[in-house]
Amino acid sequence: MLTLIVFLPLLGAIVSLFLPKENHDIHRKWALVVSLAALVLVLGMWGPFDASNPGIQFEQRANWIPSIGVSYHVGVDGISYPMLIITGIVSVLAILASWNIEHRSKEFFAWMLALQTAMYGVFVALDYILFFLFWELLLVPMYFIIGIWGGPRREYAAIKFFIYTMVGSAIMLVGILATYLRAGLGTFDILTIAESANFDPRFQFWAFLAFFIGFAVKVPIWPFHTWLPDAHVEAPTGGSMILAGILLKTGTYGFFRIAFPTFPEGADAFKWLIALLSVIGIIYGALAAMAQKDLKKMVAYSSVSHMGFVTLGLAAAAGAVAQAQGVGDVNIVSQLMSNGSMALNGALYVMISHGLISPLLFFLVGSVLYDRAHTRMMNEMGGYFTKVPVAGTILAYAAFANLGLPGLSGFVGEFFTFVGSFPAFRTLVVIAAMGLALTAGYHLWMMQRVLMGEGKKDESFPDINGRELAVSVPLMVLILLLGVYPPLALNILDPAVNQLMAKLGGM
Amino acid sequence: MQYVLILPEILLAGLGLVLLGMDLFAKSKRSLAVAGVIGTLATLVAVLANFGATPTDIWNGTIRADDFAQYFKLIFLVILGLVFLFSHEYLERRDVRMGEFYILVTFATLGAFLMASSLELITIYLGLELMTIASYILAGMLRHDARSSEASIKFFLMGALTSGVILYGLSLLLGLSGSTHLVAIAEALATSPNTALITAAGVFIIAGLGFKVAAVPFHMWAPDTYDGAPTPVSAFLITASEAAGFAVLLRILLIGLAPVLAQWKMVLAVIAFVTMTFGNVTAIVQTRTKRMLAYSAIAQAGYILVGVAVATPQSVTAMLFYMLAYAFMTVGAFAVVIMLSNHIPSEEIEDFKGLAQRAPGYALAMTLLLLSLIGIPPTGGFFGKLALYRSAVEGGMVWLALAMVINSAISVPYYFNVIRNMYLAEETPSVELSARTGLKLALGIAVAATLLLGVFPEPLVGFLRTIQVMP
Repeated sequence: MLTLIVFLPLLGAIVSLFLPKENHDIHRKWALVVSLAALVLVLGMWGPFDASNPGIQFEQRANWIPSIGVSYHVGVDGISYPMLIITGIVSVLAILASWNIEHRSKEFFAWMLALQTAMYGVFVALDYILFFLFWELLLVPMYFIIGIWGGPRREYAAIKFFIYTMVGSAIMLVGILATYLRAGLGTFDILTIAESANFDPRFQFWAFLAFFIGFAVKVPIWPFHTWLPDAHVEAPTGGSMILAGILLKTGTYGFFRIAFPTFPEGADAFKWLIALLSVIGIIYGALAAMAQKDLKKMVAYSSVSHMGFVTLGLAAAAGAVAQAQGVGDVNIVSQLMSNGSMALNGALYVMISHGLISPLLFFLVGSVLYDRAHTRMMNEMGGYFTKVPVAGTILAYAAFANLGLPGLSGFVGEFFTFVGSFPAFRTLVVIAAMGLALTAGYHLWMMQRVLMGEGKKDESFPDINGRELAVSVPLMVLILLLGVYPPLALNILDPAVNQLMAKLGGM
Repeated sequence: MQYVLILPEILLAGLGLVLLGMDLFAKSKRSLAVAGVIGTLATLVAVLANFGATPTDIWNGTIRADDFAQYFKLIFLVILGLVFLFSHEYLERRDVRMGEFYILVTFATLGAFLMASSLELITIYLGLELMTIASYILAGMLRHDARSSEASIKFFLMGALTSGVILYGLSLLLGLSGSTHLVAIAEALATSPNTALITAAGVFIIAGLGFKVAAVPFHMWAPDTYDGAPTPVSAFLITASEAAGFAVLLRILLIGLAPVLAQWKMVLAVIAFVTMTFGNVTAIVQTRTKRMLAYSAIAQAGYILVGVAVATPQSVTAMLFYMLAYAFMTVGAFAVVIMLSNHIPSEEIEDFKGLAQRAPGYALAMTLLLLSLIGIPPTGGFFGKLALYRSAVEGGMVWLALAMVINSAISVPYYFNVIRNMYLAEETPSVELSARTGLKLALGIAVAATLLLGVFPEPLVGFLRTIQVMP
């Protein structure tokens, strides 16, 4: 099942190479059909997926390179399944959002499909080499998508994105090899190594550092974020949606799947650093977003800020475990551990929610508004509530979701993260909470400049059209659903999170 | 029995003579290329048939028939066969004498065969000279091009000098041990008190072979030679000549100098590090395609040298894997360069502009080969590098593994410069691009093999583990 989901888009991409070059319509329809098919398969797993089971499900395993212990091993658990769903949804919508691309459309949609294979692959791979393969494969299609169909500085942004991530993943690869050799189990299996290997703290420190660098670039954790504004702003809308919605999550997912469960003591050693960098990222991202005149750049920096919550939640889990160490009272221990679980749940919830909100924002800013006004500069906009009332309302909705308005999904994740993290890092969380005020600030200011006021007198645009609504409405509905009914996701996340906490606590 | 073991050499020498005869009578020189491919395939069959035989020394120990030698012959034959396939149109357009070209490239390969299949210094040296002398002429075969003459002269002067250096080193070994056979030399060195002389011999041999594989700081000839030589010759030199150099380096270091190998490991590691870093950094600023590939070849030699420096059975396995993958991906990339330079003679990286739109198949093939050269999965280049990293980490040289991965990241800009030109540049020079079947076939084989080694490396990895430099 998972194998089919992973390789179906790639197969679709290969088939699409044989489609006639001039017929734009057939390229996009084919890409849409293939992506929808993959999404249907992913959603089809919802029924059989056992939410109460914290372990790996839908497992598939086959020997690949037995002489060095590499296997083709895929599976999902409560942490990766939601990411698969987000991947499927955002992929379909990104293709719908790119409907108007006619320049070299065959290549564009082929790369979009190839990208899907890499994304699904990263979230289901349970073997280090397989994981690394998909991780690297993410780069190539994205390089082309930014580099060919991007904005004016596309070539610079594309190669910067590639090199940054490549350096990170190269260091991660050494970490993988060191882990494999030190574990001495003769296997590259992620789960087996996490369960059975005994690493001494010193080794865990270095191995965690190697993985940290690899993942931190992708998240991106401040100060590794400088590729992000370039890539997000220059990428075409479909590319930005996927970058912000999914690619960033592969970084944090790496912490959940590999770095934390495999090197709990490494996580412990780095928890303060991660927490500190996260809080800097939250504040810095918010301040930088506030300073932007370019609406798309503002959204890009807000991603840096929001990903800070995810890594803060991760650090807090390690913090909670450290607090519980040496405490005799069982009740206190379980209280501390549940704080950690809450932080982790919050972090994952932010990942899911940001995976829905940021594509919506990028779509509105990069496509809906830009196609009409042909500008992204906020000072050239204004009065959109009256000019394009429906699109304006959706933008306001997305902005409120992004700033964490209760009732929408953004709030739930941030709330959980803060409450779960507070006992571990009191001062830092208080500072991070100020970031919330800044976040609200720049969103409101943006709305004031873009939606209200008079704007240019002589301009008038058609309001949002049917295709654009088809992209926006599913995201809006999901944002609302996850906002009012958190158990929808928490039921799936919680068992896996508790298991991860137990692993971190050495129980 | 003995003749069966050297059947590959006999067949290849026979092929050279047949080509020599055909050159006199054949009207269409294309028949030479066809005969070359057939001869290469026949030799390949002989090589494959010899795999798995018990390692034997024949003819008073001058020839060593073992899987190590057969595997290197396989690499040489792959390169030779691809060169036969893709050269014809290039030679025709550049007015190169085809008869001489096909004959010399065959004899150069024969020299490489002898280098890989001997443990005896004189035979090794003979093979080396046969290969390099043929190569000097090959490099200068563009008679109307000053660059080519410069390439040939530079290559000849440097090559003659280094041959002398190697010969001096070998003579020291002979003087120390009283034997020209590497096994006997190792036995003598193990008990020899002349440590200073042994060190001197090591210096000369490593420096001399360092020239042959274009390791920094012995690389000065390489960029000019690879850039100026006819493009098929560059492809041959960068892959076959380098692989032959590594075969000899492994044999001499791991057998003859085995007793003193430990003291050389750090030196070799530093050479490997400097070579890859220098090659990669310098390649970034190149604007000519072949010059860029020349520096990239230096960098790749640095990666392969990691295997020599680590000097464990795992690292040798990794090297062997990487060298085959390297042969496919480099020769494949050269096939695209040749296709392009058949139509745009300038050979600048800019010539790749808009290739993705003019010839999407070639662009995609080139992209795959370049990704393999960087080491992005799932390609042969990735698994080769992975095996080298692994052997370095395992062999206690984590810093070298780290240097290698950082270097692969440094190599991204220049390989991607080609990809950028192919895909991102919009203007398209309106030149009709075409290629003959032979080149298409060669490119197809190279791409398929690169992918196959990346997706199903197991059979080769499993097989290579059984190969030892000396059982």
